[in-house]
Amino acid sequence: MDKLKLSTANLIIIVGGVVMLIASFLAFNKFSRASFDVAGVHVGGTVSYSAWSSHYFLIATIPALLGIVMAAQVAIDGFASGVKLPERVLGLTWNQIHLVLAFQATIMMLAFLIQDTSPLDKGLGLFLMLLAAIALLVGAILRIQEKPSGTI
Amino acid sequence: MAERQSPTPGEITIMVAGGVMLIFSFLHFAGDRNAWQSGLFPIATLLPLYGLIMALEIALTKFGSVKLPESVLGFTWNQIHLALGAMAALMALGWLITDYGDKQIGMWFEILGGIALAVGAVLLQRERNTGAIG
Repeated sequence: MDKLKLSTANLIIIVGGVVMLIASFLAFNKFSRASFDVAGVHVGGTVSYSAWSSHYFLIATIPALLGIVMAAQVAIDGFASGVKLPERVLGLTWNQIHLVLAFQATIMMLAFLIQDTSPLDKGLGLFLMLLAAIALLVGAILRIQEKPSGTI
Repeated sequence: MAERQSPTPGEITIMVAGGVMLIFSFLHFAGDRNAWQSGLFPIATLLPLYGLIMALEIALTKFGSVKLPESVLGFTWNQIHLALGAMAALMALGWLITDYGDKQIGMWFEILGGIALAVGAVLLQRERNTGAIG
């Protein structure tokens, strides 16, 4: 039963990963035009593009994929007692891998936030993905403080 | 005077890739804009920046006799090279697949450079016997 008890850091990572995945399907960028009816036909409105739309996939989808990997590792480690993940991957501990992935996701989302996308507006999905990336980074740092393995 | 060691293939790969990526980041990336111009900055600028960090670390420690801290946030420099190289390759793959209009020469060299950084980082692990790979 102890396996089902997640630490605060791991909980933040799982929630961050799930929010990241959901947000990636929301509007990453959107284009709004004045909307009006002409002879009974509706013209204008808002067109939105998610991180999975062709113009954004794969570059804007990478932060979501990194969040999924982090959340999946925590979930497997916490709930799948039959699955044993290697302690290190390419010489890096899981704490270090979480820090690298979360840092990459955050830096990319900050870059998307700063990027001038005019005439497109930034959508809710982008902002939520940024918040989720920051949450993942916080989770990764907390994880190291909970279980130090030489990092930070 | 101590003889300066010549750079290894892994170090050369990273330094050349970093230099090439920096130069080509000022050429057209997509349409008529480079990686530093509005609309592409800073998302397209991350790749050359990663290359620059990796190349500078090797150039400074190898030729500049600069002493950098042995580890940063608990990561050794070999681990930092591996992590930055892997993330550079991931972004290179991202730009390769993304339908971002006309792929120009700058983007192609950023993609090639990102892959070269990952190859260089892997070679570095082997040359320095870090045990991370093989």
